[in-house]
Amino acid sequence: MTTTLSLEAEVAGLIVEALHLEIAPEAIDPEAPLFGEGLGLDSIDALEIALAVSKRYGFQLRSDDERNHRIFRSLRALAAHIETNRTG
Amino acid sequence: MRVEPPLPLTSRAPWEVIFHRGRDGVTLERFLAEAAALAARLPDNGPVLNFCADRYLALLGFAAALSRGQTTLLSADRTPQRLAEIARLHGARYALADSDIALALPVLRPEVAAGSDAPNPLIRADAVAAIAFTSGSTGESQAHPKPWGALVAGARAAAARFAVAPGASIVGTIPAQHMYGFETTLMLPLQGAGAGHAGSVFYPSDIAEALAEVPAPRLLVTTPLQMRALLGTGIALPPLAGVISATAPLAASLAAEAEAAWGAPLHEIYGATEAGSVASRRTLGEEGWEPYDGVDFAIGPEGAVVTVPGLPAPVPLADVLEWVAPGRFRLLGRRGDMVKLAGKRASLSGLTAMLTAIEGVEDGVFLAPEDLDRNPRGRLAALVVAPGLTAEAVVAALRARVEPAFLPRPVVMAAALPRDAVGKLRREDAIRLAWSR
Repeated sequence: MTTTLSLEAEVAGLIVEALHLEIAPEAIDPEAPLFGEGLGLDSIDALEIALAVSKRYGFQLRSDDERNHRIFRSLRALAAHIETNRTG
Repeated sequence: MRVEPPLPLTSRAPWEVIFHRGRDGVTLERFLAEAAALAARLPDNGPVLNFCADRYLALLGFAAALSRGQTTLLSADRTPQRLAEIARLHGARYALADSDIALALPVLRPEVAAGSDAPNPLIRADAVAAIAFTSGSTGESQAHPKPWGALVAGARAAAARFAVAPGASIVGTIPAQHMYGFETTLMLPLQGAGAGHAGSVFYPSDIAEALAEVPAPRLLVTTPLQMRALLGTGIALPPLAGVISATAPLAASLAAEAEAAWGAPLHEIYGATEAGSVASRRTLGEEGWEPYDGVDFAIGPEGAVVTVPGLPAPVPLADVLEWVAPGRFRLLGRRGDMVKLAGKRASLSGLTAMLTAIEGVEDGVFLAPEDLDRNPRGRLAALVVAPGLTAEAVVAALRARVEPAFLPRPVVMAAALPRDAVGKLRREDAIRLAWSR
């Protein structure tokens, strides 16, 4: 659990840095939606996150399945997906 | 008035493969049979809102509706609010979709059902085959009707311009309902050449997998943003015969990097939702854009107007153009205060009007960074005077009215805007304030 929590903080930092967001990483509600409401990200951001994730964690995000909605549902869901798939 | 002869639904031969679904090649003969089978199941009256993500289903639905004399409404924005707005404002009678979105009208899921041999129907050239949309300065959608003759002429001009081989595979990364995506991934296989890839493709890994699924020669139709992500992840692509980019100006450095990485010529398309694709260039080494065959540009001090085969009237363009050589023009910038992000246009004054209309906002302005057209990650900023509101509250209020791409980042709350003695905004000071960090 502690691993997940620290990874969550790391991914929050990655998102803030990659997207030049004007908030502190710890201000991101881990359960709030990343897109639309909540953080209000859009498709440009999705590509930026995919790029940052591939560089930092060594795997590619994909959009071919239902999982994608789950992965981007919240910071927590994205961090969990990275935890499972990371190679770096 | 001259009456144009009707044009067939497709110009392709029965045995030609016009689409790839996974590794399955769909011949024209099979496509016509499936389109006829679907047409028989459609309600009697359109227009139809078709927002299928699967390109083959999108094409099947479009062809079936067209053969029944129904107009297809194209919305690249698949958010339920936008779909509902377009359906309401433009009188959609039903929708075709491959996802579960609840709308206040019947939603049909197109199924691929084998049918018996079907003819290639003739369609009137002036029939409104599709309607594309832009968001006006007030945020409400504006309709741009597309006569069948204009769509056919555009597809044939593109096939000739890019010398698309009949057996080429076309992998597109833009929604089929965006005008550029519609022309290059649905109309090109239908009336030009090549075979489309059906899947929905967005991330670098999707693009690589889709390209690997289809036979060579492969044509990748994409955007500067996605090219940047592809090159940034360093993902390997199968050999490409060509790359086409549109929606935003492509930096020469990115074009050079792409040609070096993929060993294929990179062309850019110039166009607008109102006019469709109207010109192209090889980005490396060509500053000037060459109009498509049959397209006529009138460039004057008042602005540029383009005459497109099949469209009933000349179309004014939002860009400032100038001739650089016979038959070659250059883009000088956008007219007035128009900005473009994620393939969509908006006016800064229109966005500012929406900002200042928010309850509690006393003064405010939307600003664009100088490098917005060159920087794929560029975003707008807003300076806001609203003593009782937080920046988050301002963004939340804007979200209901503004496309996500235009939401300001950053939002800077200020005690006052930098205005001169007569109240005119001091732009340089405003820009410094907005991007001070």
